[in-house]
Amino acid sequence: METYYYSQFNHAVVHVALFDDVTNAAAIRSRIVQAARNLGVDGNTERKAVNFAFIDARLISSPLHLQTAIYQALLSEAQGQLRTKTVHSEILWALNPTNNITEAIRRYGVSDESTKLIVVRVDVSNTPELQRRMCDIIQGRMVPFQVLSQMTDWSIIKKHYKLDSESALKEVQGNLDRERSIIDNIVVSSVAMKSVMT
Amino acid sequence: MLSSSSSKPPTQQLLQSADLISQGAEAAIYKAYLRQFSTSGHGIGHGAALEALEPVLLKYRFRKHYRHLSLDTSLTRQRIAGEARALMRCMRSGVIVPGIRMVDVNEGVLGIEWIDGKSVRQILPGGAELEDISELGEVDEIHENGAADSIADYGVSRGRTVRMLIGSYSTSVDALMDMIGVEIAKMHLADIIHGDLTTSNMMLRKQTSDLVLIDFGLAYHSTLVEDKAVDLYVLERAFASTHPDSEPLFAGVLSAYEKRMCKHWLPIKKRLDDVRLRGRKRSMVG
Repeated sequence: METYYYSQFNHAVVHVALFDDVTNAAAIRSRIVQAARNLGVDGNTERKAVNFAFIDARLISSPLHLQTAIYQALLSEAQGQLRTKTVHSEILWALNPTNNITEAIRRYGVSDESTKLIVVRVDVSNTPELQRRMCDIIQGRMVPFQVLSQMTDWSIIKKHYKLDSESALKEVQGNLDRERSIIDNIVVSSVAMKSVMT
Repeated sequence: MLSSSSSKPPTQQLLQSADLISQGAEAAIYKAYLRQFSTSGHGIGHGAALEALEPVLLKYRFRKHYRHLSLDTSLTRQRIAGEARALMRCMRSGVIVPGIRMVDVNEGVLGIEWIDGKSVRQILPGGAELEDISELGEVDEIHENGAADSIADYGVSRGRTVRMLIGSYSTSVDALMDMIGVEIAKMHLADIIHGDLTTSNMMLRKQTSDLVLIDFGLAYHSTLVEDKAVDLYVLERAFASTHPDSEPLFAGVLSAYEKRMCKHWLPIKKRLDDVRLRGRKRSMVG
């Protein structure tokens, strides 16, 4: 698990963890959906329990990609300009190149087939036992972020960001490292400038 | 959860903690860190070793009090959006430019990748004169080795590696001019006009020796030969006014540019000759 501190956002603390070999993605997804539907007291406790952003790790090109989406989501929240209901769903929205919220959640959120997940928790202070609570929800193996680069599915990222025909990539054909660093740079920049994209 | 009605907006707080790098009439440039970082997971603020990740460069288009508030807000918003979009177009076209790291149009801040390196102006002889006093030691060295030695032989042996001049940057002046020509050509082929090409707006990255074009504050989209020719003319004048004996330097830039532009070169060359005769402003007579 990694922790980011933001003094400019009232000392917000953001915890991120990467999981591999996740076996209960479908259960997590239905739990989130149920929690959102259930309005009573039960709903509240359940919403608290799944109050995380669950992100498909295959679509994240680098830690900086994730950090940039988190940053823009924190900024929107602080300015009262969230486009989605919570800061956690806002992270998913920031990751997707279009403005369609449903599409963002479907693409970047947890799906029934997900086996590699990133879990993000935005907090005002360090929450006790957060790591245990993450592990309670997710059946899988927590791995360090250095492994992320091996999980990335570059072809889906290229498709979502419509990069296949870009001259930047044609130029470096064959050089995989160079191509990936260019894709990462474009994707990170797209997330950062989403608010002024149109 | 995080809304802060009493304290300053987050981006203002970020600027407060940032280091001012330079200050112009339009904007101020800062070096800052967006977040602090710990891998332990158990570290609670104090005590645990906090590491700041990569730095970013913040371009802060501050409020202009001589403009009406609503006009100022919309102009600032447009310019930040314009600069970010120009950078994105460049990136997608394979032009080496800094990546974008954060955008806050409400406060007028654009955060971009911090490029560790020096501007071409600082590297080339002559250009260092007006630079920071703090770098005077280095400047002197550049001067002695550069102006007296390397530049004097440019006409004859321009190909030789000027390692001592460029220091830790492993490239020759020839290769540097070549890279400049190629990057500008890639940018023009994507129909992006930089609008302010000078040797200060190009940097040589320390680790990779890439040539990075910076400051797209005046950039715009255009397919016109005129605009591309003027872009080159502006650079030619910048070379002539900052670097002594710059003709062979700029000729090196143009020849690399020509090679890269292929068939698009000829009309631009013709127009560049016209522009040289009349200056960058078109005559409004007739």
